[in-house]
Amino acid sequence: MSAPLEFTLLHPANLTEAVKQMQAHPNARLLAGGTDLVPNLRRGIGAPDTVIALGGIDTLNSITETASHVEIGAGVTLAGLLASNLPTRFPALQAAAEIASPSIRQAATIGGNLCLDTRCRFYNQSQWWRKANQFCLKLDGDTCHVAPKGKRCHATFSGDLAPALLVLGAEIRVENAQGGRWQPLAQLYNEDGLDHLTLAKGDLLVAVRFPTSETRRSGYLKSRVRRAGDFPLAGVAVALTRTGDKITDLRVAATGTNSAPLLFDDFADVIGQPLSDAALTQINKRIGQAIKPMRTTNQPGLYRRQMVAALSKRLISTLYEQGAN
Amino acid sequence: MTSRLTLTINNRTQQHLVADGTLLVDFLRDQMGLTGTKQGCDGGECGACTVLVDGKPRLSCVTLAHSVAGQSVETIESVAENGRLSRLQAMFHERLGTQCGFCTPGMIMAAEGLLRANPNPDQAQIKTALSGNLCRCTGYVKIIESVEAATNHG
Amino acid sequence: MADTRPKSVIGTPTPLIDGVEKVRGSAKYTADLMPREALVGRILRSPYSHAELIAVDIDKALALPGVVAIVTGKDSPIPYGIIPIAQNEHPMAQDRLRYRGEPVAAVAAIDAATAEAALDLIELRVRELPACYDAMHSRAPDAAQLHENKPGNLEREVHNSFGDIDAGFKAADLVAEDVFHCAEVTHAHMEPHAALAEYDPERDTLLFHSVTQVPYYVHLMLAQCLDLDKSRIRVIKPFVGGGFGARTETLNFELICAILARKAGGTVRMVLSREETFLTHRGRPAADIKLKLGLTKAGKITAVKAEMTQIGGAYGGYGIVTILYAGALLNALYDIPAVQYDGYRVYTNTPPCGAMRGHGTVDMRHAFDTMLNRLARQLGLDPIAVRRANLIDAPGETPNGLKITSYGLPQNLDWVEAASNWKTRKGNMPKGHGLGIGCSHFVSGAAKPVQWTGQPDAVVNLKLDFDAGITILTGAADIGQGSSTIVAQVVAEVMGLDFSRLRVISNDSAITPRDMGSYSSRVTYMVGNATLQAAQKLKARLIAAAAKALETTPDNIECLGETYRVADSQDRGLPFEKVVQEALKDHGAITERGTFTVPKAFQGGKHRGGAVGSTMGFSYAAQVVEVSVDLETGGITVEKVWVSHDCGFAINPLAVEGQVQGAIWMGMGQAMMEETRFHEGLPLHANFLDYSFPTTLDSPDIAVHIVNSIDPNGPFGAKEASEGGLAGFLPALAEAVAEATGCAINDMPLSPDRVFAAIEKKRKADKKRAAKKVPV
Repeated sequence: MSAPLEFTLLHPANLTEAVKQMQAHPNARLLAGGTDLVPNLRRGIGAPDTVIALGGIDTLNSITETASHVEIGAGVTLAGLLASNLPTRFPALQAAAEIASPSIRQAATIGGNLCLDTRCRFYNQSQWWRKANQFCLKLDGDTCHVAPKGKRCHATFSGDLAPALLVLGAEIRVENAQGGRWQPLAQLYNEDGLDHLTLAKGDLLVAVRFPTSETRRSGYLKSRVRRAGDFPLAGVAVALTRTGDKITDLRVAATGTNSAPLLFDDFADVIGQPLSDAALTQINKRIGQAIKPMRTTNQPGLYRRQMVAALSKRLISTLYEQGAN
Repeated sequence: MTSRLTLTINNRTQQHLVADGTLLVDFLRDQMGLTGTKQGCDGGECGACTVLVDGKPRLSCVTLAHSVAGQSVETIESVAENGRLSRLQAMFHERLGTQCGFCTPGMIMAAEGLLRANPNPDQAQIKTALSGNLCRCTGYVKIIESVEAATNHG
Repeated sequence: MADTRPKSVIGTPTPLIDGVEKVRGSAKYTADLMPREALVGRILRSPYSHAELIAVDIDKALALPGVVAIVTGKDSPIPYGIIPIAQNEHPMAQDRLRYRGEPVAAVAAIDAATAEAALDLIELRVRELPACYDAMHSRAPDAAQLHENKPGNLEREVHNSFGDIDAGFKAADLVAEDVFHCAEVTHAHMEPHAALAEYDPERDTLLFHSVTQVPYYVHLMLAQCLDLDKSRIRVIKPFVGGGFGARTETLNFELICAILARKAGGTVRMVLSREETFLTHRGRPAADIKLKLGLTKAGKITAVKAEMTQIGGAYGGYGIVTILYAGALLNALYDIPAVQYDGYRVYTNTPPCGAMRGHGTVDMRHAFDTMLNRLARQLGLDPIAVRRANLIDAPGETPNGLKITSYGLPQNLDWVEAASNWKTRKGNMPKGHGLGIGCSHFVSGAAKPVQWTGQPDAVVNLKLDFDAGITILTGAADIGQGSSTIVAQVVAEVMGLDFSRLRVISNDSAITPRDMGSYSSRVTYMVGNATLQAAQKLKARLIAAAAKALETTPDNIECLGETYRVADSQDRGLPFEKVVQEALKDHGAITERGTFTVPKAFQGGKHRGGAVGSTMGFSYAAQVVEVSVDLETGGITVEKVWVSHDCGFAINPLAVEGQVQGAIWMGMGQAMMEETRFHEGLPLHANFLDYSFPTTLDSPDIAVHIVNSIDPNGPFGAKEASEGGLAGFLPALAEAVAEATGCAINDMPLSPDRVFAAIEKKRKADKKRAAKKVPV
């Protein structure tokens, strides 16, 4: 129950051209792997006149490493990332292997996953469905069916890579007609399902980087119904340093719970202490106060909340144990 | 808008006029008559439309035809060798890796992509490689066996 | 003289006769048929759950350039349905909309974009009515009534009692009662629905291709709804991408496509989206089950009392049969002296349910075998021993009049017990691990078809002509289960030929004899028997021809595959081609016919609805499921399944294995994760992300053992193989999870959130109990 896609497809050959085209067509959608955008367009979610395909911009497709940073182009595919040695060296990046399925990972890109549209069971539906439901706050309507009395959209951010990169201390490179800037990855996101990216019109995410010196032990765990294909019901990334018996550094990030991925790095009361049940409870209390899994998925929000606690506990404990060696 | 598209399909390089928004799966099926590639879902969820692009499995239902310009697309119709079943196809046939057959072209293309990259995958690697290809008939048991039988050690 | 007979064809693993096309990508499914002149057909679906339909305004849509025809309820005033006495559905809604997604109108246009644009221009005027989505609301005294002739929104009540219930429970040492709920599930066949209707206005004829399991029903319903003589219709079934029961009934889009083609005066191709395929539904209804079971100390079942409420959706469909099946097949698996069953089929404002693999029996089997496992534990008995204490003395007849002619359940139990190392492992699994058992059974074809005609259940024609090739003409629909291969094997076996002389033409109403189609696992049994008879007749004819040519009597002729000769002679004999030539002399092409009819004696008890569940042969299955459960997330891993299936005789062991694995796996999907969900009647599951079923990574090895119990009436002793095993998975999983977690969970599916909630609940209860025990 959807019409064929009709738009003009532009193929910029380089960044400059892309940025120019984005300026000329402010309502254009960007197409990288297409694995998020195309299923949405096929459901009538958005009907852009112009789509700018980024596949021809070679400079987006490389992984480079200097003494200070590992830099991954936004156009690097998830399969490309997994084929590199980075997931072995920075295990949180194994998150890429947990995304969708192998054929999708051949096309889907780092940039696309970081900029993944927020998801909701009232939004990721056909035009017929959304119309029958009087649309929703995120698209063409004025009520959020998840929390009808509220004023905001609760659609959930479900990218798996963002939490992994957040705990690795990643920054992103944003280019626009005025030039470019590096900014912390955390600043890419708003806690608003309707407008969860801080990118302005004309801004293009071109790369992500993190310190080469990153030595924390890291990992990613994901809750889902099936072992492939599913978006996270909840996902947790952790990076920690253990010195002797003490945790000397800890970062936790969660996805699948809010409209933005959340980074937690203020565990002052745990730092300098050995890991204990009390410490884990303390950590989970901190996280529990911030996460807000709402009824955006068919599985209950309570379960997703419980899984954040279970997975962070498991992952922190595992990494802490590994740190003893 | 319609634009010229140059690409290689099943080892033949060709040019076509294709609307910008055309999905690769629709281009292959409707314009090229290559109906072996199936559409099983409304986009990106079942793997029935899997084809090889430059030798790697891709979902043609979430890929724009113009996104594979200049690349080599291989569909199930190209797998047979001089009209005879390839070893992988023969194993799917002989070991009942196919029942209703609807997921089969996508399944074989995903497995073909795996075997080209790794001629000796173990069972876990086979299961991972096919994890985006849904089947409702077989419970996958005989599909996995078919691919195992087509490996070098099979 | 070399014996050129192929080694026995039956009982030998045989690849599908149409498998080459499938692996080559050349198999044409309905959506692959794209005549250039075909118009695009699209359906306008109700956005309302329940409303009075006042007007459908199509004027603006008709004015859109490129729109060729539009049809509405006015073009489809004749109702249709699978049960002749309960047809309350129209191809397009009349004056009432009863579920979101119900077809209201349809457009034929020159392309998809135009058709979609036209749908947007059709205006509906309605008066909305209150809707009900579950049994409680639907049965409430003040509930809005969906159908005028169905007060209380009850489609059908069933009240059956066999044996002395009260005496049974009195004789029990342990009686338990519990409540179970199974979520609605659906087939999710991989091929989305599609149809192609080619109408010739000059001749007033219709050529129709569709994805159906039962082309004959489609033919009948097309004739009925289009008010078109049956002889003007030709129905062809191309390759079909699975069915699992969804395509047993004629479906609304099939009728709409044909109605639209007639109105457009040409060809209409209709390919439904995955979402629309979900909306078309006909899946297994959600079920609430109340079950009371009595056992003696020795584990003998004394009585069962079961109540089931099925939430059936907006129209009758198969409803009556489904609710009857649930009660009927409480019987015929174990020996139960007294069975009471009360069934309620309820209307709701959701897409209509229908037949799905294991029709009607699955959820009840879950409740029954789960309770049997629990009571066994409470009595300190081994669940397998309890089943052995309740075996049926076969052959025999159940209290509700079902005949049991072959019964491989004992052998099934023996095999799964040994293969899973049950005796040493059950009860001794490490924390988080468990083993469970479940048994199940199913019919090998419903003994009495819903369409009563007096004709045989199956007819097969064999055509032999100058080319000395045999064309097998059958109306049995191969939908991937391998029925065309089975009929070819039967002919090859009888004729002593290999496949090279055989071809199967299945499902073209202009060519193939009428068949009841592929449902209730009837094909191997019924069509197999008809094929067997046809092949034997053809063989006799060739022998007679050979005898004449060799100037001897038929009983003196010996067939060595391709050679017919005088028995025990040193003659070179006649090659097959020559025998055929002899047989064609003065006669021309030969068509031999085989038929099969289920004798009346097998058609069930005399009580109302007693035919449902009756069959000539029940298949039997037992399975052991091994799981590990992640106690911190509730995630289940099915490590391994051992299943033994009594299919009478495996004509094609390769296909039997594949069918059994597929059935077990589909049971696993239902037991682990599958579930439809609605938001005020809008499906929240109408895609393959939200209607999740297992991927390769979620799927275990399934070891299959085949028990050949040799049914006295099946072809070569064969019975069904593709449905019987499904239901047993659910209780087997529930039992394994109970051992792994200590939690008794009564609801299905055992999705991680449900399992986790149960684990948490138990953890809290244990803590409370422990706290109480500590002396203050």
